[in-house]
Amino acid sequence: MINRKRLFTTTVSIASILTLAACGGGGDAATDSGAASGDDSKTLTFMFRGGQDEQKAYESAIAAYETDNPGVDVEIIATDPDQYDTKLQASIAGNDIPDVFYIAQGDVMAYVDNGILMDITEEVENSDFDIANVWEFGIDSYRYDGKNVGEGNIYGLPKDVGPFALGYNKTMFEEMGIPLPDVDVPYTWDQFVEVGKQLTADTDGNGEVDQWANGFNVAWSLQAFVWSNGADFLNEDKTKVTVDTPEFAEALQYFADLQNVHELTPSIAQAQTLDTYQRWMNGEIGFFPVGPWDMSTYAGLDFEYDLIPWPAGSTGVPATFVGSLGIAVADSTEYKDEAIELAMYLSTSEEGQQQLVDAQIQIPNLIDMANEWAADTESVPNNKKEFLDIVSDYGRPMPAASTYTAEWYDEFFINIQPVLDGDQTAADYLKAVQPRMQELLDASIMQHEQAAK
Amino acid sequence: MEVSEKKTSATAARKIKKSNLYRDEHRAAFLFILIPVIGFILFSMIPFLISLYASFTDWNGIGQMNFIGLKNYQNLFQDKYFWQTLSNTFYMMIGIPIGLLISFLLASALSRKIVGKTIFRVIYYIPVVSSLAAISILWQWAYNGDFGLVNQVLDLVGIEGPNWLQNVSTVKPAIIIMAVWKGVGYSMLLYLAAIQSVPRTFYEAAELDGASAFQRFRYITWPMVKPITFFLIVTNIIGGSQLFTEVNIMTPTGGPQYASATVVWYLWRQAFSNWKMGYASAISVVLGIIIFIITALQFYMNRRSSYKLD
Repeated sequence: MINRKRLFTTTVSIASILTLAACGGGGDAATDSGAASGDDSKTLTFMFRGGQDEQKAYESAIAAYETDNPGVDVEIIATDPDQYDTKLQASIAGNDIPDVFYIAQGDVMAYVDNGILMDITEEVENSDFDIANVWEFGIDSYRYDGKNVGEGNIYGLPKDVGPFALGYNKTMFEEMGIPLPDVDVPYTWDQFVEVGKQLTADTDGNGEVDQWANGFNVAWSLQAFVWSNGADFLNEDKTKVTVDTPEFAEALQYFADLQNVHELTPSIAQAQTLDTYQRWMNGEIGFFPVGPWDMSTYAGLDFEYDLIPWPAGSTGVPATFVGSLGIAVADSTEYKDEAIELAMYLSTSEEGQQQLVDAQIQIPNLIDMANEWAADTESVPNNKKEFLDIVSDYGRPMPAASTYTAEWYDEFFINIQPVLDGDQTAADYLKAVQPRMQELLDASIMQHEQAAK
Repeated sequence: MEVSEKKTSATAARKIKKSNLYRDEHRAAFLFILIPVIGFILFSMIPFLISLYASFTDWNGIGQMNFIGLKNYQNLFQDKYFWQTLSNTFYMMIGIPIGLLISFLLASALSRKIVGKTIFRVIYYIPVVSSLAAISILWQWAYNGDFGLVNQVLDLVGIEGPNWLQNVSTVKPAIIIMAVWKGVGYSMLLYLAAIQSVPRTFYEAAELDGASAFQRFRYITWPMVKPITFFLIVTNIIGGSQLFTEVNIMTPTGGPQYASATVVWYLWRQAFSNWKMGYASAISVVLGIIIFIITALQFYMNRRSSYKLD
């Protein structure tokens, strides 16, 4: 009786310990079994975040890869966007890093400094990978020389490049009898207000304005105004926060005045009942930003839209940002050559790129393919070339993409609302926020120096 | 002499025999206890100790740990966002007494003979078993300024609702309302069990003595469910200080002017976006100490006014 009981308890506890142990080593088991099933069978893991369209595109890129590389299996790990960073860092802490994975531009420094990413410069340059046919911005975003991002060795390939263009509601312009904007010559700031005043109107005659010129989100649109006015968030060597210059103040004030002085945007109360994105989709707003990822949604709009450069400030040259995500190879991978080749397939395989273009969520990473895509001026948006001009010509990386942490940049936006509401002048706000941002930037630089040691 | 010796050896033998049996049972019991203990050591104790150590280092989460003494703690006390998020966290605990009151009233109602009370119990309990992430997304939609369910309902009675999650003054109440809604079913269930376990005889005796309905509540029901209230307050405060998922999904940037950023959300940002795992660990240690002190205080206060039915 006692023996049986003892046997039972022992079994239970051993079983539970085994379960716990199995949980801990779960990740390794997968790679081990892959290796054990035969010397010629290798398993690579690829971790990414994104929607179904992206997953489909990668499945076809991976299918092409597996056909060309018999004996290599690729396992896809898809995660929720907001879980991705946490999961990746957990895998690093647990020493079970996926072979190939997404990386944000802004994280390149930290991951390289800590020896997580593999230097793939030689392999990329010496393979039949046609580097000249991939956007320079896309490659440069993942170059790092130990000090600055943008130059040096290659630690990743672009998953995409995301130019943030300005769109306008063509149908609205035509109905109002306003001349269409020139796709080659940007508006000046004064013209932009002028046209805006013509667009802002009460179309149904009930005494209430129901159509507005714009309604920009400060976090994504302010950069275009700041840069085109000759200002910037940082100095050239990324050590000083330069938001307290007159040019910067002028740009931020202009941005706030669009709402408070010129009244070209839905009022604060109106914007709060229905955000400007929804109003743009309803056809109530004249100008609105458009990224390549918006194209699939905007294909269903019941008005025609097109792309133009952002209005240009004192420099006369338009500006905007280009986002990007990268595909990197883990330094710890067992199958170096196979993993690097997989990264190349994911970044530029024609099958995968075609899928993404068909899904209307990104522009092709291959320049010749992108040119061919933009040459189709029949389908909406007609001026697809604007996207390519931004990537190859006047787009810039986000300010925090080249600093060790983004904390200093986040600080800029946390308390900005009073300026946008017209309760505080831009100059006052910038003067107050600059020291706080500088302090965080200094901390970020110090963090970088310590990590690089 | 001889007899007594025999006697002692007999008891001794019995003792040995008994303790053999005990030992076996103890061993079995020990093995049963071992399972959760191992789980606790592996998944709570070791991470806690690592985190405690990390709070004295400049660890970035993926690289080396360098010991830097109390530096993180010094920075912490000068970090205004730490204090702001900490006070946001405690502000949002206003929902705890509100939630307890609502669930107690619901439990009182549902312990009576009401038509369809099983259905009501199920309805109130559904949010508890639903995924928190899914619920947060639903409420995010419900709070949308124009299309949101909340404002549509307000519109029916002629109130123009704000864009709940975008306003400094409404984002905290919005999250509190949601948290109350989510938690009410669980508290209600515990209260229901407690109310139903109060012996009928107490009420009968009170009625004979001419006690009013309020007096019966004040002197019988309330003291009888007090252990449950105590348990709920303790667990709710511990849970409330760890508020994260709702905030992160509904206001991914911490809300307008950080109005809805909680301390756990802030430490998560520090750890996973700003490469400051050491600093984040220091925040979590301080938070842990605060929770411990509050809980200890509650136990102390509860002991002084506890009521027991033997």
